[in-house]
Amino acid sequence: MTERGPESSDANATYVFAVCWNPDPSAVARLPGVADDAPVSLLPLGALTAIVQTVRARDFTNEVWQARLSDQRELERYARAHHDVVSAAAACCPTVPLPMATLYQSEERAREALSSEADRFHAALKRIAYHAEWGVKVYVQPSPPDESNHGATPTVRSRPAPGAGLAYLDRKRGAQERREQRRDEALQVAEAVDTEVRSLATASRRLRLHGPQPSGERRVQVLNATYLVAEHRADELTLLTQALRERTGAQVELSGPWVPYSFVGEV
Amino acid sequence: MTHDVVPWDSPEPLAGPIGVPLVDLLDRVLATGVVISGDLVIAIADVPLVRLSLHALLSSVSERVPAPWADGGPL
Repeated sequence: MTERGPESSDANATYVFAVCWNPDPSAVARLPGVADDAPVSLLPLGALTAIVQTVRARDFTNEVWQARLSDQRELERYARAHHDVVSAAAACCPTVPLPMATLYQSEERAREALSSEADRFHAALKRIAYHAEWGVKVYVQPSPPDESNHGATPTVRSRPAPGAGLAYLDRKRGAQERREQRRDEALQVAEAVDTEVRSLATASRRLRLHGPQPSGERRVQVLNATYLVAEHRADELTLLTQALRERTGAQVELSGPWVPYSFVGEV
Repeated sequence: MTHDVVPWDSPEPLAGPIGVPLVDLLDRVLATGVVISGDLVIAIADVPLVRLSLHALLSSVSERVPAPWADGGPL
């Protein structure tokens, strides 16, 4: 498969990264975007401006995306390319990111469709102005291996001591109770962290919990939340997460500042 | 090689966290943003489809991952 076909025969499409207020064209012009055929450019929409790129339609069909999504490296390349453009735009002006893979058949169609949502874009831009998104994840260590098998050495097998069955059940019950207690404690830590961080955030969202990583890491995620925080409170957030780490003993990870991806919808 | 569609050695812009973990990035670039319909790949902007495909790819991106403390879990 050749990447450079006869360009004249290719239909083009318009990939939209974000919608902004008054972006600086030079902020995004040198970024690669998601294709190498045309530079990332600006599409004026009245008081709004979309950050767009002209791409070959055949490289962005549903089938091509399906293949891309099943290849982690490809998916990562596109996710990061999208994110780079969004981040560069947001560094120079208020920016509403669009989800990855938002495409239109032409610039005209993009202008028409995005302009019809202008009110929602303006509302979202107002909400996120002077704010950034910060992610907070909390992890706890898994419990040690079940201790109820301790003492189960081969010698025990010959003849169970009187009451061994009862003792076994007690140990099992104890393990179950300890597990429930750990679960309750972990949930309490997650709720406590969320409550405290929300107290200095403008808005918050809980994201789905991440399952175990393929790396085999054994810590367990108990909170994956994200917060819209005013710029002038970012330092407070850093201090708060440090304090929460010390107070709870849990691993509290802070990530950001992010472009407020999670706070531009539901207008 | 088909991988030169996206030049990959360009430096990251200053804004945004450096070295963002993919799983955190996907939480944000796929599932959020102002929901509008596109012309060509409406199904892709549709989160469930994306999630479905990712399920096979990254267990950590699925909502179906059971709670970590399900019976017999590590907690």
